Amino acid sequence: MNKHEYKDLWVYIQHDGKAVHPVSLELCCEIRKIGDASREALAAVIVGDLPESEKDRVLDCGVDKIIHVSGTGYDFFNTDAYTNLFTVLCRKYKPSAVFVGGTIFGRDFAPRFACRLPTGCTSDATQLIWNPETADIEFVEPAVGGKMMAVITVPDARPQVGTIRPGTFKYAPTGRRACITAEEIIDFPVGEIRTKILDFKADEFDESLNIADADVIVCVGNGVKGADQLPKYRELAELLGGKLGCTRPVFDRGILPFKLVIGQSGVVIKPKLYLAFGVSGAVNHVTGITDSDRIVAVNKDPDAAIFRYCDYGIAGDMDEVCGMMIGKLKAGKKLSPQKDVI
Amino acid sequence: MAEYNKLTPEIAEQLCAVVGAQRFSAGENVKEEYSHDEMPIYGKARPEAVCLVETTEEVSEIMKICSANKIPVTVRGAGTGLVGGCVPVNGGIVLSTEKMNRILSYDMNNLVVHTQPGVLLCDLAADALAHGLMYPPDPGEKTATVGGNVSTNAGGMRAVKYGVTRDYVLAMTVVLPCGEIMKLGKTVCKTSSGYSLLHLMVGSEGTLGIITELTLKLIPKPIQDVSLILPFQDIATAIASVPSIKLANLDPQSIEFMERDIVDSSAAFTGNAVFPTVVGGREAGAYILVTLVGNSETELIGKMDRLGEIAEKVGAYDVLVVWTDNLKKDVWAARSAFLTVIEAETRLLDEMDVVVPVDKIAEFLVYTHDEAERQGVYVRSFGHAGDGNLHIYCCSNDLEEEEFKRRVKALMDKCYEKCTEFEGQVSGEHSIGHAKKEYLRESVGDTAYGLMGAIKKVFDPDGILNPGKVCHNV
Amino acid sequence: MLNILVCVKQVPDVNLVKIDPVTGSLIRAGVPSILNPLDANALEAAVRTRERYGGSVTCITMGPDMAAEALRECLAAGADKAVLLSDRAFANADTLATSYVIVSAARLLGDFDLIFCGKESLDGATGQMGAQLAERFGASLVSSMSLLRSIDFEKKTVIAERELERGIETCEARYPCLFTVEKTNYRPRIPNLRSWRASRFAEITRFTSATIPGLDPAQIGDPGSPTKVPRTYPPEVGEAGMMIDEGSVDRNVEKLLDLLGDVL
Repeated sequence: MNKHEYKDLWVYIQHDGKAVHPVSLELCCEIRKIGDASREALAAVIVGDLPESEKDRVLDCGVDKIIHVSGTGYDFFNTDAYTNLFTVLCRKYKPSAVFVGGTIFGRDFAPRFACRLPTGCTSDATQLIWNPETADIEFVEPAVGGKMMAVITVPDARPQVGTIRPGTFKYAPTGRRACITAEEIIDFPVGEIRTKILDFKADEFDESLNIADADVIVCVGNGVKGADQLPKYRELAELLGGKLGCTRPVFDRGILPFKLVIGQSGVVIKPKLYLAFGVSGAVNHVTGITDSDRIVAVNKDPDAAIFRYCDYGIAGDMDEVCGMMIGKLKAGKKLSPQKDVI
Repeated sequence: MAEYNKLTPEIAEQLCAVVGAQRFSAGENVKEEYSHDEMPIYGKARPEAVCLVETTEEVSEIMKICSANKIPVTVRGAGTGLVGGCVPVNGGIVLSTEKMNRILSYDMNNLVVHTQPGVLLCDLAADALAHGLMYPPDPGEKTATVGGNVSTNAGGMRAVKYGVTRDYVLAMTVVLPCGEIMKLGKTVCKTSSGYSLLHLMVGSEGTLGIITELTLKLIPKPIQDVSLILPFQDIATAIASVPSIKLANLDPQSIEFMERDIVDSSAAFTGNAVFPTVVGGREAGAYILVTLVGNSETELIGKMDRLGEIAEKVGAYDVLVVWTDNLKKDVWAARSAFLTVIEAETRLLDEMDVVVPVDKIAEFLVYTHDEAERQGVYVRSFGHAGDGNLHIYCCSNDLEEEEFKRRVKALMDKCYEKCTEFEGQVSGEHSIGHAKKEYLRESVGDTAYGLMGAIKKVFDPDGILNPGKVCHNV
Repeated sequence: MLNILVCVKQVPDVNLVKIDPVTGSLIRAGVPSILNPLDANALEAAVRTRERYGGSVTCITMGPDMAAEALRECLAAGADKAVLLSDRAFANADTLATSYVIVSAARLLGDFDLIFCGKESLDGATGQMGAQLAERFGASLVSSMSLLRSIDFEKKTVIAERELERGIETCEARYPCLFTVEKTNYRPRIPNLRSWRASRFAEITRFTSATIPGLDPAQIGDPGSPTKVPRTYPPEVGEAGMMIDEGSVDRNVEKLLDLLGDVL
């Protein structure tokens, strides 16, 4: 394989016919920067029809090319048709890289078409660097539970496939460029789709599980002794007008649901105030909190990594500090001289 | 009768000079937490001052000042007690060991650790394990201090194999009420050398002297262990299995019992339903949790097989094997959370910590439940089936406090009477404090109670150490 | 009769891995190896399926000899057979090479109707194995499966629920079908003494690269792995924040709340 025959950076535009998934736009913006460095075109792969206004949002990210695919088999997300589609497209166009949003669907079909081609697939990179010497993309990602960073490359195969979690990169469109559109018709026989959706029941909206937009987040980390300690953290969150979140190990221990997991494999948050109790500061958690306006960390280990990311730190027992905060807030301790108690 | 003096600004100043302003608080500045332990039903009392001591010498200086001025001194560790032991019911100052929290050194040749009394049990246990050693006493409250454990002779889950805290105290430094510093015991395992003042100090609840340093015996960490859950139809069948388990030469490290009701609460509260509720299609009503240790997997399997045979004979629904480290952690965390769960679910709470002969546990529990029903109080229990130590919690969420206290007193009067009839003890590990004094007197009799009082007087003629506790009346 | 396969992995308990503060390298000594927690949920789903519909559950793993311990855990929790793929030549494999070896060996064991996997591993956490195994098995893929509702033996289809980002999807999938399993409804059981005991003495089938006929050396281990890890490094850390140390918890919290006055 001569990897220099492979050109262009692709982003799969995931959409439901009405709106583009934010991760696809985030990816377009980030990959635009790689394309500028590697002098490759940024191509958006759009399957099926998309309203003009949504297509405009994609164009605003500075894509050079749209590959618009129509045909049978794409009415609902299914790995069979989409795996085939990307296999066919990649063989024809020979892109150097394909980026797919790390949604459940993206994580289903991207590794699968990579396997069929075959080529290498990476997941959950938090940083992408184009290396001019090797002409490879370096996928930088947290490893070993976030205690190390690993650089992953695909040096001898193309395309380089990567799935990226929503919220990893910023949606910051840099403006339109001249864009050409290629039309493709790829039919996948509907009878060969091996999965069928029978029903979909949307989650009942549980406000306490919706932490992405909360102004204040109280996060419990693996230092929490057990679920029996949670009520006080909930109480503190309520007193501050915020919500409770957790780190991945707390979910793994079965203490809190996955929807409350903050970090790269969970929710990326942007609160005004983030309070970390018993959080060690593993990178895959920290990548989810860096947009917080103010970070407070409480950990009994004065050397915990989280103190490197915080604005204010207290080395001490998390339960004790939490209890004390509750006591003071309840006793009418004012957070600010000008304002009443929250 | 003892007469105490109030803390004057002058005395406060002297005390403050000993520990420094950072570690001294008085009057309004005393934090509320120093006025109670974890069983507030016995009443709160705010100390006139709190000294956070760091050294034996500071303790000695403080005692000199207090004995000269007849100021009561109540020692406090982590405040996790359940009988008001650390509550200064007769005023005076609280001397907190919370800052004496350093593990001083290990003697790996003699398998002992030298430690300050304010070290938390969980920290000592973890640190010993990191040295390849085990501190055998394992009370449920892991955030108690070791000093508190020694003062109450705490027992815990592993007492059935290893004994209680008393069996692991080799030596200590004690400050007497007059301020004199005294060393008791030696780093050896035998003594036939006069009255054991060391053992008199163990379990004396801060009424005879103040422990400022401890030498504790450790053992090599067991090579392998396994925990087994035996679900039963009900608590009576579960408890009835214990003598057979104890007779089978398994040398279990612990035998705990738990009722379904509290297992369910723990599961709901922690969100982690570790204990299976339906086993082989049958609802479990009670559980026995056994831990076995051995030098090899083969040895353990031999023991487990024997336990399996017994389990079948005594009517256990099954024997579930808790083998992986993470599962052990989950199961024992669920067990350790019981008291927290009860505290969280209950507005008014009182407890008994009786010990009865193992073959009387079931009968005692049935009796307690019946009496509780008669009194209209809700009872929840768990405990150490292997040694007959029961933790029985009297709960109410709807009664008025005074009415609750009245009913609980009536219930407890009956239960402690029953306990005495069964040749049991008033307290297995939570001790007497001021809450169980009357029951102690009734249980041991006037002569023994009088001797205790006389001993107290020898150590503390002015009665300034933890006045009003155990056998001392003000 | 249903032929069920469960693909599992033994992983270091990464929550216990520490970083050497001086060299910045991982301290692996003393870190226990455990059955990947999410694989235990997959196994539970498989065993319950067998208990309901009959059949047999085989668990398979690729790893060093000590990975047999993870397989014994699976046997204790209800698997019927265990297969260990162990060979130095398999080492340093990425998901592509691993899925190739597993599927090549599984073909020797028969045709599997249902394959269960954990959602992702604790250590690598790529979450790609399910999709790539499904591809190599030629199986339909039902990811994030939270409940296997029913099996239609006539149509050879399965109806299952999936936990998606915004709700629960019910889908129908044809055999062979691969599930990646959510933990929601499949809490792993605690094994009973009989099955635990049997697992300690059970025979574990072992394959090496030599005993899997036709295995292409170019597709296994390092040569068969298109993704490479040229380097790792400790995470960059920022400047330490302001540590509040006013001498007591009470004063620390007081100070903190004062400092936060302007935020809210």
